[in-house]
Amino acid sequence: MKKPLLHSCLAVLLLCALPLLAFAEPRVIGKVKGLRGLVSILRDGKTKPAFPNDRIYQSDTILTGSDGAIGILLEDNTLISMGPISRVSMDKFTFAPATNEYAMRLNMQHGTFVYQSGLLGKLAPHAVELDTPVGRISMLKEETSFKARFTE
Amino acid sequence: MNWKSLIVLAAIMLLFAGCSAKENFVVLSPADDGSVGALKVATDKGSGVLDEGGKAIFIGGHNSAPSTPAPISQEDTQRVFQEALQVQPLMPESFILYFQFNSNELTDASKNLIGNILEAIKKRQSRDISVIGHTDRTGSAEHNRTLSFERAQRVYDILRTENVSPEDMTISYHGEGNPLIPTANNVAEPRNRRVEVMVR
Repeated sequence: MKKPLLHSCLAVLLLCALPLLAFAEPRVIGKVKGLRGLVSILRDGKTKPAFPNDRIYQSDTILTGSDGAIGILLEDNTLISMGPISRVSMDKFTFAPATNEYAMRLNMQHGTFVYQSGLLGKLAPHAVELDTPVGRISMLKEETSFKARFTE
Repeated sequence: MNWKSLIVLAAIMLLFAGCSAKENFVVLSPADDGSVGALKVATDKGSGVLDEGGKAIFIGGHNSAPSTPAPISQEDTQRVFQEALQVQPLMPESFILYFQFNSNELTDASKNLIGNILEAIKKRQSRDISVIGHTDRTGSAEHNRTLSFERAQRVYDILRTENVSPEDMTISYHGEGNPLIPTANNVAEPRNRRVEVMVR
């Protein structure tokens, strides 16, 4: 008799905790500015097509189709563009000059990337960390911009 | 093997020597003035520094060290990244409009900037325009808050009459609290009587 009670208690606890998890405020970190072909945004386990001027949130993953390409403008004016069959996840982005808080961690998982430094790369280049399938890219100088391809 | 097939073989090798379709690589992009930054690529087996334009670091995989920087042609780079470059957004552009003393009337020079703002909006098809009002430190902080709002409102109205959609603009005002040129209180500073328009 005791076990089912314990189980239902746990179930109730879980149900209470779920809305809290869902409530973790999604943070806007940028916008879709350039778009071509089919591009999808993977957010909270659901995939939806991307449109110009759509918002990009922290933790989003963006995927381009075989004819797709996307240009993203982040809040600090960093520009990230991807060609076809590319995939990036926006793991972390904090840009708060007023409180001196900076962080950028993107995972360039596959494809072609054009990365143009914004204010974050100018004010805090060491806060920029870019994961790739073959290793990590970090900045040694302010305002470093690059292009990269990862096919692994 | 005769000499003809040797030439064909050499041509094929040249074709692939430039940039194999399977390689991972990183290349720096020059700024408008031609300067480049510097970055580090670190794998499980070592790391490499890239600090020159026109050269790339090639990376075989997690389990190999990155190559030393090797020349890469502009054509190869252009070809590999052309689709991404075609959708690359323009950098946001910011404009500063100045005002007459204690007034929401633009200076004549600043009136002429409205055309440039409209052009920047059109070029980007921007739906993301912020209008931010400021004052200098003559007069009370309260008065300056109102004045900075009126200045921002004036610019907003001008852009409205030029058919910029209200949904695409956000308006805000900082009073005397966010000067371009810091001054003591009650100092007249024309460069602080301004509205900043950011077109993203």
